[in-house]
Amino acid sequence: MRRSDLGEFEEVVLLTVAVMVPKAYSVIIAEELERETGQPVSTGAVHAALQRLEQKGYVTSVLGEATAERGGRRKRLFTVTALGGRVLTDVRSVRNRLWERIVPPTMLEWS
Amino acid sequence: MKKPPHIPDRILAWLVAPHLREEVLGDLHERYHLQVQRLGEAKARQRYWRDARTYVRPSVMKRKPADYSTTFFLNPEMLHNYVKIAFRNLVKNTGFSVINIVGLALGMICCLFIFLWVQDEKSVDNFHAKGDNLYTVYQTISANGKVDGNYSTPLRVTPSQRTGFMLEDVKNAVPEVKHQAFYATGYELPWGHPETFQRGDTKFKLEGSRASSDFFKIFSYPLLAGNAETALSDINGVAISRKMAERFFGTPQKAMGKSLRYENRLDFRVSAVFENLPVESSLKFDFLLNWEAQKTKLEWSSNEFRLFVELAENANVPTVENKINRFLQPRLAKNKGVTTQIGLQRFRDQYLHSTFVNGKPEGGRIEYVRIFSGVALFILIIACINFMNLATARSVKRAKEVGVRKVLGSTRSHLIGQFFGEAVLLAFLAMLLTLILVVLLVPTFNQFTGKQIPLPFAQGSFWLSLLGLTVLTGLLAGSYPALFLSSLQPVRILKGVLRFTRGSVWFRQGLTVFQFGLAMILLVATLVVSRQTNYVQQAHLGYDRENLLYIRVEGSLANQRGYSLFKELASKMPGIAMVDRSSEAPHTMGFVVDDNDGAAETATGSDAINWEGKEKNASVGFKPTSVGFDFVRLMNLKLAEGRDFSRTNATDSSDAFMVNEEAVRQMGLKNPIGKWVSAWQKKGHIIGILKDYHTHSLHEPIKPLIVDVKEYEYFGVVLVRTEAGKTKEALASLRKVYGEINPNYPFDYQFIDQEYERLYRSEQVMAKLSNVFAVVAILISCLGLLGLVMFSTEQRTKEIGIRKVLGASVGQIVTLFSRDFLRLILIAILIASPIAWYAMNQWLQGFAYKVTVAWWIFALSGAGALAITLLTISFQSIKAALVNPVKSLRSE
Repeated sequence: MRRSDLGEFEEVVLLTVAVMVPKAYSVIIAEELERETGQPVSTGAVHAALQRLEQKGYVTSVLGEATAERGGRRKRLFTVTALGGRVLTDVRSVRNRLWERIVPPTMLEWS
Repeated sequence: MKKPPHIPDRILAWLVAPHLREEVLGDLHERYHLQVQRLGEAKARQRYWRDARTYVRPSVMKRKPADYSTTFFLNPEMLHNYVKIAFRNLVKNTGFSVINIVGLALGMICCLFIFLWVQDEKSVDNFHAKGDNLYTVYQTISANGKVDGNYSTPLRVTPSQRTGFMLEDVKNAVPEVKHQAFYATGYELPWGHPETFQRGDTKFKLEGSRASSDFFKIFSYPLLAGNAETALSDINGVAISRKMAERFFGTPQKAMGKSLRYENRLDFRVSAVFENLPVESSLKFDFLLNWEAQKTKLEWSSNEFRLFVELAENANVPTVENKINRFLQPRLAKNKGVTTQIGLQRFRDQYLHSTFVNGKPEGGRIEYVRIFSGVALFILIIACINFMNLATARSVKRAKEVGVRKVLGSTRSHLIGQFFGEAVLLAFLAMLLTLILVVLLVPTFNQFTGKQIPLPFAQGSFWLSLLGLTVLTGLLAGSYPALFLSSLQPVRILKGVLRFTRGSVWFRQGLTVFQFGLAMILLVATLVVSRQTNYVQQAHLGYDRENLLYIRVEGSLANQRGYSLFKELASKMPGIAMVDRSSEAPHTMGFVVDDNDGAAETATGSDAINWEGKEKNASVGFKPTSVGFDFVRLMNLKLAEGRDFSRTNATDSSDAFMVNEEAVRQMGLKNPIGKWVSAWQKKGHIIGILKDYHTHSLHEPIKPLIVDVKEYEYFGVVLVRTEAGKTKEALASLRKVYGEINPNYPFDYQFIDQEYERLYRSEQVMAKLSNVFAVVAILISCLGLLGLVMFSTEQRTKEIGIRKVLGASVGQIVTLFSRDFLRLILIAILIASPIAWYAMNQWLQGFAYKVTVAWWIFALSGAGALAITLLTISFQSIKAALVNPVKSLRSE
C-alpha cells in the first residue's frame, strides 16, 4: 500500500466520516471540519474528496432521507469500509511511531 | 424559509451529471440554511455562490455512461419499421388519412399555382443579356407643391415646332451612359391604335412602336435578318416581327428590303426581322419604326416618351442621375414653382413597380405579387394546422405506441424523427396528388389569369422548390404532433391516462380560431370584391352603353367627304339607329389638359382652357372632347340645364360648348349658361350643362368635361348605335358600307359594353381568385374542425355514456359539443371582422365609386361560417350522442 493513496484532506474527511457515522454526509462533514479547523470548508471540496474515497473503496454510500431544508432532496450517507478503517489505522500507527520518537527537548522548543 | 439564489441552481442543474444532481443541490441548500442562521442572509448568499463554484469540476460534470446502448436511429431495421408503421396507420385510418392528404394537397395546389404565377410575374423583362445595366428613365415633376412622376422625358420645342427631347444627346454628355434608346408605342391610349400595313391586297392591323437606333443594341431581342446596327437607322426603315414577316412575305429572309405601305400614306422598307417577342417582354410590338420617322412624319399615340439607357459596368446610379440632372437643368424652360428631376429605375423592375408614389416608381403589380404570396402562405399554414389538429386528435391512439417504443428504449429524438418522417411522407403523398391535379388544372388556371404559364417540368429548380415545399410542409405540419407525442410519459400512457395540459388545449383551440379567422377574412373579401365588380358592371354610367360600338376614324373616314358619306349611308342601313363621332372612345377618355400641359404644348404661355371669371391660379384638369351634332342624343346623355347642340343653330359649330356639372363646380361658375369659354384657339359660349357621366373607369372620380362640335376635324372614333337585338344585321351593314368607302383598311370595331368590362379585368381576376381561395380555406378549415370534433367525441365517450345514463337527451349532448366549438368560431369572427373591414377598405380605396362595406356582409359571412361549422360538427356529435351507453361505458 502506497502512502500517497491518501491525501491529507482526504484523510481528515475519512476520519470525520468515521466520527460521524451513521450520520456522515457532506454538509455535516464540512460543518464539522469548519468548526475543528476554523477555516471555511466548502461542501464541494468535501464532496470531491468523498467521491475519490469511494472510488478507492475506503467508504461506501447509500441515499438517505430527504429533508425540507434540502428542498426535498435526499442526502448521500457515507460509512467507512473495512479497507478504509485499516488504512486509517495504518496511517495512525505510522504517525504514532514517529511521534513517540520525538525527544522531549525538541517539543519543549516548540511550545 | 428563505430560498437560496436560483441562478447558480440553474447553472448547476445543467452542469452537474444527472445522477449527482440530487445530492449536490440538496447539500448546497442545506448548507445555505445553516449559514443563513449563522451568518445572516447576505453573507449566506455570497457563500452560496462560492460553494456552488466548487462543484464545477470534471468529476462532478462527467455523465455516467448509460447501462444499455441506445438504438441507432437510422438503423435500416428501424427505418423499415417506421415506414411500415406509418403505412399501417395510413391504411387503418383511411378517413383520417384522406382528410389529411386532401387537406395538404389543397394547400399545396394553391401554393404551387401562386408560386408559378409569381415566378411568371418576376420573369417579365428579366431575360435581357445586359439586364444588370439596363435602366429606364423617369421624371419627377413637382408643380405647386404637387409631386408627380411618369416614365416620360422632358420635351424640347424647337422654333420650327418640331418635337425634340432634352435628353437626346445625353450619351455624349454623361460618359457612363453607353447607349440610349427612345421608345414610344403607336397603340397606347389616348390616341394610339393598331396601325394598318398593306402589301398588294394583303392588309393587317398590327400594334407596333417606334424606337431610336440603339434599341436593338440595348435589348436582347434576337434578329433573324438584318443587324442591330442598321435595323433602326433608316428613317424609311421598319423592323418587323417574324409573325408579321410570315404574314406578308412567307419567310423572314424574303422580307428584307421589301416595302410595306403604312396607313395607306407612307412606304417603309423592311430593314430587319426580329424573333416574335417572348411573353416575358413587357414591351410589346410587332414592328418598330424609326424614331426620326416618328418625330417628323407620324402622330404620337400618347405623351409617354420613354427613354432606356445602358450604363457602363459598375456605374454608380445616383452619380449618373446627378450628372443627367446637371445636364438637363439649364436646358429646362424656367417655369415658376415647377421642377423636373430625372431618375433611373432598373429596367427589370419597371414591370412590377410602375405606380408612382411621390414622383418615384414604387408600387404596382408587386402589390398583387405580395398579396398572393401572402395568401399562398396562409392557405398552406391553414392546411398545416389542419394536419396538426388531426394528428393530435389521433394521438390518443398513437400514444400507446409511443409508450411501448419508449419502454423498448426509444429516445425522444427517435420519436420526434419518426413523427416528422411520417408527416413528410404524408406531405409527399399530398405532393403527388398535387402534381396530378396541377397538371389537370393548368389550362383553367391560365384562362383565369390570362397568362400562358407552362409547367416547368424540365427545370431542376422547379423540382427543387417542389421538394422544398414538400419538406417544409411536412416539417411545419409535423412539428406539433412530433413534439407533443414524443413528450408523453410512458408510465402514464401505458396506465391509460392521457391528459392534455391546459396549454395544449389552448394551443389547438387557438389554431382553430386562427383557421376560421382566415377563412372568415377570405369570405368577407369574396363578398366585397364580387359586390364591387357587380356594382362596377351594373353601374349606371350616365349614358347607355348597350348596343353601342365604335370604329376608328382612319383612311377615307378622316376627311369630310368620306365621313359624311359613311354617316349618311350607314344611318340608312338596317339595324343601325344612329351614327356620329367623338374624338375619343367615350368609355375611357384618357386625354386630360391642365394648365401646365397647356403651357408646354402650345408654347404660348397662355392656358389651354380659359373661361369667364377664371381666377389666376385656378387649376382645373379638363377632359376635352370634340363630337358631332348627334353625340348627346346618340349617347343618351341627360342635360341638367341649357340645350343640346343643334344643326339649326348656325353658330353651334363654331361658338358652342357644353360642360358637365363637375366642370361647373370646379370652374366656380354661377349661372354658367352663356358664359364664354375658350379652348386653345377656339372661343365660344356655354350652351348646355350635361349631367355628370363616367368617361373612364370607376377607379377615378368624374372629371370636368368640355365638349364642342367640330365638323371640320376628323379623328377619333365613329360611334354607332345599333338597334336592340339587331346586332348581326348592323355589323353586316357596317362591314358593307365600310368596305366601299374605306377599302384600304380592314373593318374593325369594338363594342363599348365589352370594352368597358375589359377595364376591370384585374378586378374580375381578383374576384374569381378570392372565390376560389375562400372555398379552399373554408374546406380545409372544416376538415380541421371535423378532426377536432372526432377527437373530442373520442375523448369524451365515457362522459357521454354517463350523461345518457343519467338522462341526457341526444339534443342536449349535441348542444354540449356544439357550444364549445361555436364559441371558438364566434371568437374567430370577432377577431377577423375588423381585420377584414380594414383590408377591404384599403382595397376599395382604389375606386372613386364603390360599395360600402356594410355590417350585413360580416353578418352574412359570420352566419355562413357558423352554418358550415354546425353542419360539420353535428354529423360527428350526433353520431357520438346516439351510441348506446352500454357500449361506451363498457369499452376500455
